[in-house]
Amino acid sequence: MSLNADLTLSRPEESPLPIRRLVWPSPYALVVWSVFTLLALPLLATLGYALASSWGATLLPDGVTLKWFGELWSTPRFQWAFTRSMLVTVGALALSLVLVVPVAFLAHTRYPRLDAWMSGLILVPFAVPPVVSSVGLLQLYAGGPLPLVGTPWILMFTYVTIALPFVYRAIANSLRTIDVRSLMEAAQLLGATPFKAFFLVILPNIRVGVQVAVFLSFSFLIGEFVFANMLVGTRFETLQVYLNNMRGSSGHFTSALVITLFLFTLLLTWLGNRQAGHAITKGANP
Amino acid sequence: MTTLSGAPVVNDSPLAAGYLHLEGLAKRFGTTQVFSHIDAVIAKGEFVTLLGPSGCGKSTLLRSIAGLNRLDEGRIVVDGEEITALPPQQRGVGMVFQHYALFPNMRVTDNVAFGLRMQKVPHEERRRRVDEVLRLVELNVHADKFPHQLSGGQCQRVALARALVVEPRILLMDEPLSALDARIRGHLRQQLRDIQQTLGLTTLFVTHDQEEALVMSDRIFLMHDGHILQQGSAEELYTRPRDYHAAGFMGHYNLLFGDQARPLLGEGFDSARVALRPEALYLQPLADGAMGVERPARPGPECPGVIRRCQLLGNIVRYSVECAGVALCVDTLNRGSRHLLTEGSQVGVVVDLDEVQAFVE
Repeated sequence: MSLNADLTLSRPEESPLPIRRLVWPSPYALVVWSVFTLLALPLLATLGYALASSWGATLLPDGVTLKWFGELWSTPRFQWAFTRSMLVTVGALALSLVLVVPVAFLAHTRYPRLDAWMSGLILVPFAVPPVVSSVGLLQLYAGGPLPLVGTPWILMFTYVTIALPFVYRAIANSLRTIDVRSLMEAAQLLGATPFKAFFLVILPNIRVGVQVAVFLSFSFLIGEFVFANMLVGTRFETLQVYLNNMRGSSGHFTSALVITLFLFTLLLTWLGNRQAGHAITKGANP
Repeated sequence: MTTLSGAPVVNDSPLAAGYLHLEGLAKRFGTTQVFSHIDAVIAKGEFVTLLGPSGCGKSTLLRSIAGLNRLDEGRIVVDGEEITALPPQQRGVGMVFQHYALFPNMRVTDNVAFGLRMQKVPHEERRRRVDEVLRLVELNVHADKFPHQLSGGQCQRVALARALVVEPRILLMDEPLSALDARIRGHLRQQLRDIQQTLGLTTLFVTHDQEEALVMSDRIFLMHDGHILQQGSAEELYTRPRDYHAAGFMGHYNLLFGDQARPLLGEGFDSARVALRPEALYLQPLADGAMGVERPARPGPECPGVIRRCQLLGNIVRYSVECAGVALCVDTLNRGSRHLLTEGSQVGVVVDLDEVQAFVE
């Protein structure tokens, strides 16, 4: 007999009382929570270490403090590393958009074959490991007519190629959700030039795709280490290179740095997902 | 009759007889000839329908007039001005698309005002004209909604308002009703026609629905295989199709070879092909109890037949009758269930000889 039946029989006259059911979590929920716990544990431990005044041989920290975060955020070297990372990432994403939006638009409207080419091309950054690309880039740009190694430009251009798959796919998918050709034609028949039609009608309708692409690409580019370390290193110290260089200092300090970076990335990813969620909820582009 | 900006519509100009001229238009896609030898003169304020089956070139012709497709040959003249080489934004034509093509990021008012913004119309006048046109299409209560918040019929009325507000010289409509359900289509059909007549707008309307063409048009251009097969009023096209192809597209004509038609038309008949309208055939029930039999003014010989199928289409009953080895489509008025002929009934089939369309080819 079930628990439900037992409770009902024991108090037949007290029917207004709510009957508590024993609910087991579904296997899916169990899997999700297990994975979440597995991923969250190291972060929670790092957060704990970043908030601990000191944590040595005891089970629990001696005290809780925000001094490591305060110290980190007031360090000029961190502020510069953060600024450099922001500059390179924002620059790379702006350049990506300037290059990819027109290409995706033309591939969608005039040259369908270009889309097939682009679909193949965007796989290259995944196919070639970052270490291999870095060596190739070092050989190409260490000297010769374009000595870019050690300058932020090489990092920016490299980030454009890494962001390409995400930016292109997101924009191409956004273009597929609208009838680009009819919208362009309708705008032109109402007196708009092709340029105006694109900016006033098409661009606002792929805004969500562009935003998602930007936020998601930003969140992983700001944490990129391999290219930054090999191509520019300490000559243009970005956040991840700074973190690597600070690994010998206080563990509390580097934990605060990791948590800061994580929270910033989390915020951007959440913003990106929120944009995508809005688009799905509305059932159309706003 | 006035325009949206208040100017009176002038119908008595010297060009009133020929406002839009299409001269020798031709278009190819690669090696495929989409249409050729398109010549037509359309009067100001006329509602002309391009009617034809899918793939006959009617939509491409409309798009070419709009400037969305480049013509290979021919010229287009509107009100004395040649527009053949002009880009779409300089032609002064408005277009309503099959799937509306409303701008999803803009509210109804902004969609409608878009053309006026492009023309740099002052804000106050823009607002007045948008309000006016939204009232005309009965959508002023939905002015602040986005397209995805509207029904299909409402979307199409917004698209119409957007095309009308800029006061185009010609209005082009590419199957604007085909994406709508039957009830809304019927209502919008009448509303479109009323608005067109109110504004005196020269209109080219593309459809493959012959009923739509017959109900709405001043003149119909029947297209087949990239050519205008026949042009004329709805009555002309329906009752006097020029040839076998025209008859095949209009109505539910029974298309017969001469020898197949002879039992119905008599031995003296010698045309190669014959087209018989379903309502020009009369059924004479042979069983007792049949009532209300109509007779044609000039009947042909009675030919025995058997009812194979009976379809009730509301006020019309459509019978499929096997007669002299041929399946004939016969329409009669639905005068109630007592008059319906059941499947398997023996009937006599009589043709109204005045309504026979005979072709030599």
